[in-house]
Amino acid sequence: MQITLVQGLLMLLVGFICSIDQQTEAFYWFRPMVASFFTGIVLGDVQLGVQCGAVAELAYLGMTNVGGTVPPDPLFAGIMTVVLAYTTGQTPEAALGLSYPFALLAQALGILFKTLYSFVPHKLDAYAAEGNVKSFNGLIVAVTVLQSLVFGVVIFLCVYALQAPIQAFVNAFPTWVTHGFEIAGGVLPAVGLAMLLLTTLKPETYPYLFIGFIVECVLANIVTSDGTAVFANVLPVAVLGTALAAINYAYEKKIDETAAKISSVSNGGDSDGI
Amino acid sequence: MASNDENDEVTPTAANGEKLGKLTSQDITKLGLLSIFEQIAFSFERMQAPGFTSNMLPAFKKIYGDSDEDLKEFMTYNMEFMNTEPHMATLLQGVVLSMEEKHEDRELIKGVRNGLFGPLAGLGDSIFWFTILPITAAISCSLAQSGSILGPIIFIAVYLVVGLSRIFFAHLGYGIGNKALTSIGENTKYLTKAAGILGTTVIGALIPSYVTVAFADTLVFGVDGSSTVQSVFNQIMPNILPLAVVFAIYALFKKKHANVMYIILGIILISILMSFLGWM
Repeated sequence: MQITLVQGLLMLLVGFICSIDQQTEAFYWFRPMVASFFTGIVLGDVQLGVQCGAVAELAYLGMTNVGGTVPPDPLFAGIMTVVLAYTTGQTPEAALGLSYPFALLAQALGILFKTLYSFVPHKLDAYAAEGNVKSFNGLIVAVTVLQSLVFGVVIFLCVYALQAPIQAFVNAFPTWVTHGFEIAGGVLPAVGLAMLLLTTLKPETYPYLFIGFIVECVLANIVTSDGTAVFANVLPVAVLGTALAAINYAYEKKIDETAAKISSVSNGGDSDGI
Repeated sequence: MASNDENDEVTPTAANGEKLGKLTSQDITKLGLLSIFEQIAFSFERMQAPGFTSNMLPAFKKIYGDSDEDLKEFMTYNMEFMNTEPHMATLLQGVVLSMEEKHEDRELIKGVRNGLFGPLAGLGDSIFWFTILPITAAISCSLAQSGSILGPIIFIAVYLVVGLSRIFFAHLGYGIGNKALTSIGENTKYLTKAAGILGTTVIGALIPSYVTVAFADTLVFGVDGSSTVQSVFNQIMPNILPLAVVFAIYALFKKKHANVMYIILGIILISILMSFLGWM
């Protein structure tokens, strides 16, 4: 399928808006779940957009901006997964694997901006010393708009201008290569989950990983007579997790309080004559 | 500006003698709305400092009116390095403004600002990045996989609430001021741990739901080729391969500090190799 100029320009707009959101982390419209949805709307295939969003969101789940780092770009991954599935007819899983170079391109672009923009605080320092609120606010808005515009234009180029060569390139792949990308699409969520575990997995949280794993394995196999899953999503496990967290919260607090009491009693022990 | 006693009811006056009102509830709500864009103009050098400063200016001007000296001082010390989880930044902005309103010593305010953003980042990240995101993503992905637009709509709705919750955090920060900071510090420990437990449980559930690793049905062994390789793994435990892959990648990150770019490239190359061999 071809992408028209109008669709390309609409994607520029989507890229611009989502990029502002990405820089500010305002409403998480830069996540693949939302960016793919918008892309699906623009391309007129909402269902494809939503399915690609699910695949890409999971793969990029752990790729967070925590600590000011810049991961492979979830916004470009979300948009390009839909675009590649749409233009080349590949499955969402295969398109996710193919979108990876674009996510790397945007990551490099993001790092470039955050590095180049190191001049900005010095200019802002000068405005602060003058108490110049107008110029201060003007500059921070200007640099954000500029970066978002560049991201929008790069998305336009990737989506519209480059579609013919990308299509020709992908169509030249033998089936075993595209099937390889499909396999990779199924494995990539493991990267996102492993990255989440880097921060959440500690000796004391290990048991909960296995509880969640086993409970979901069991729940996923409970089906009605016509084969539809009874527990269609992980919400029940999230409720279980909340319950476990609440138990632990109350328990640990109590232990510390008791410990504090014991130590205060033993401190006061002499005067009490115990 | 001398630091007044907390109970001192003297209304601050600007240089021109005009009486200045204290901050109203609307001013704090406005702070919460502005701080949705707290991370604006992010750069590696000062990170969130520009937005952190800018969001507070309307409320600060209401406290100090046209006092240029205070404005300059305020903007300058807030332009120091700032990096925390955005919602926690809003909370901290509320604390800073309530201390400014009480005319606390600026060195003390600075100390609170610079001392608190780190610990708050840990709490905020564990709530927003490592708990709310995986759960929201998991639920919306399970709907979206079948092409239902309810998936993205739920995701957008949840994050609309999460984004606007900054209004709540602004009021929370302004309300507690610096008084209850020690108690936040104590509860941070328990809350971070509880959020970690919830997050880990959900991640455990996501592994069988979303990671797909399975050998092809055509890959068989035995003299008569009667058993598929995959059936052996299924007999040990269903979904054991996805679990093993997650742990293998986790180990590469943890022990070898592997770069995520190489891991993804590696997965793509191995997958293509597996496809070429006809194993998967």
